[in-house]
Amino acid sequence: MNRAAILWRVASILVAAGLIAAWQLAANLRLVSPVFLPGPDRAWAALVRGFSSGDLAGKLIGTLEHMAYGWLAASIAGIALGALIGSSKMMRAYVAPSLEFLRPLPVSAIIPVAIAMLGLTRGMALFVIAFGAIWPIVLATIHGFAAVEPRLYEVARSLQMSRAAIIGKIALPSALPDILAGMRLSLTVALILSVVCEILAGLDGLGQWVLLSARAFRSADLFAGVILLGATGYLTSIAMSLVEQRLLAWQTAAR
Amino acid sequence: MSIVAMLDEARAARRQKTLIAFNAATLRLGGKTIIENLDLEVRPGEFLCIVGASGCGKTTALRLAAGLYRPTSGAVTFDGEPITEPRREVAIVFQDYGKALLPWRTAAGNISLALEASRVPARERGARIEALLRKVGLPGHADKYPSEMSGGMQQRLQIARCLAQEPTTLLMDEPFGALDAMTRQGLQDEVLSLTHASQTTVIFVTHDLDEAIYLGDRVVGLLPHPGRIGIELDVDLPRPRDQLATREHPEFLRLRRQLFDFIKATEH
Ligand SMILES: Nc1ncnc2c1ncn2[C@@H]1O[C@H](COP(=O)(O)OP(=O)(O)OP(=O)(O)O)[C@@H](O)[C@H]1O
Ligand SMILES: [Mg+2]
Repeated sequence: MNRAAILWRVASILVAAGLIAAWQLAANLRLVSPVFLPGPDRAWAALVRGFSSGDLAGKLIGTLEHMAYGWLAASIAGIALGALIGSSKMMRAYVAPSLEFLRPLPVSAIIPVAIAMLGLTRGMALFVIAFGAIWPIVLATIHGFAAVEPRLYEVARSLQMSRAAIIGKIALPSALPDILAGMRLSLTVALILSVVCEILAGLDGLGQWVLLSARAFRSADLFAGVILLGATGYLTSIAMSLVEQRLLAWQTAAR
Repeated sequence: MSIVAMLDEARAARRQKTLIAFNAATLRLGGKTIIENLDLEVRPGEFLCIVGASGCGKTTALRLAAGLYRPTSGAVTFDGEPITEPRREVAIVFQDYGKALLPWRTAAGNISLALEASRVPARERGARIEALLRKVGLPGHADKYPSEMSGGMQQRLQIARCLAQEPTTLLMDEPFGALDAMTRQGLQDEVLSLTHASQTTVIFVTHDLDEAIYLGDRVVGLLPHPGRIGIELDVDLPRPRDQLATREHPEFLRLRRQLFDFIKATEH
């Protein structure tokens, strides 16, 4: 890491520390009633208590599971669908308009439909999460496949590569930067929808924890859940960028 | 008939044999006739150069021979059969080497692509790749990505990948067009020695008249709009060619003059 990067890191830690200090100050001065706003001290204590004597770890695992299953399903289906559409000009011409219609539909509009069809079940939750998280991946994959250098397809033809080999060795790796960017966007979507579905369907997870804490006016527990959600989003996104860096090492090789 | 005469005849017959033939090949693209009634025969082991003004259809003719295009009428044949698709024994060296290499694979990985396509077992690939890299003057660069290599190195890498196909025929489209003069001359000599050793048939497209005469057994000049043959010159210069001696040879200068006048006339 160079000097500038270290400075940025220090600065960002200072900003975070400043925000926490301001939060503590606001709580101490009782700018907001402690029933609604606990200080970071109380939130932290609730977090520790939740893990040591409560069920917070189980809720965290529940949310991580919903997020992971939904996101993985979205990734697999999204890449397959995107590859199918993106690798053929005809498909792009025929299917793209329907996609443009479906894509801007807010997922919240799908939720009642999903509940009506699947009930308040885990299956409904996974469907909604996957449905919401699939779009960034599908669109990124279509874009990545459409942007493959045509010369490379000619190279593949002159080597008489099979269709599977062309997709696996040329199109997918070429589209990978786009696909990973789409998957990163979807990660956040999947987390949000996991929480929403847990709240709606009462599934085991942080969403349910947050909801129950709020109903019981246990604001410290509520904040502990929110902090955990923030940390989940942050850490999964960091993990994703590490994977990206590894898989796309060739992009930075010369620069 | 004496044995000597029979042998002579056999040799003559072999020389007469054609590997790639354009028979009144015509290609229309987007309502425009790009190539019209092209008749051209390439003998096995021959080094044929194609020159012509920009836009006269050199690349298109090469793509017909490659099987990347099919003629609208007439025929293009390889060993007597119509060419319908690219074949592994015919390798294509593209001018834009930057686009023809996989940027996410190292030099070794790019060569490996051709070996994988030919189903060379994984354990044999390493040695083959090393030998090919040595052959094109890139030993020790196996782990470099294309983006870490100079233009000349990238073009060598593309040639190495083509050689990995073990082609009997090489189609080269202005392969050295984007390289500086020194790199260019070095690569010219390497291509000559590589293809001579293996008796590879070459169709070599270039803008550079000197390059065409220096490399070729025969030089064909195309006329534009639509593309057709305007001149055909046999190059009777001794081999191996030599960058200084060949280029000073009176025959070289005569051919150069003749080609130059031809191109001049097509460009009015
Ligand atoms: N796919 C295509 N559709 C329509 N016209 C084309 C197509 N490809 C090439 N042409 C036209 O055909 C003519 C010959 O093109 P070609 O690329 O073969 O020329 P060239 O001799 O290789 O030129 P250069 O020396 O600039 O590479 C040009 O006028 C070009 O505009
Ligand atoms: Mg050209």
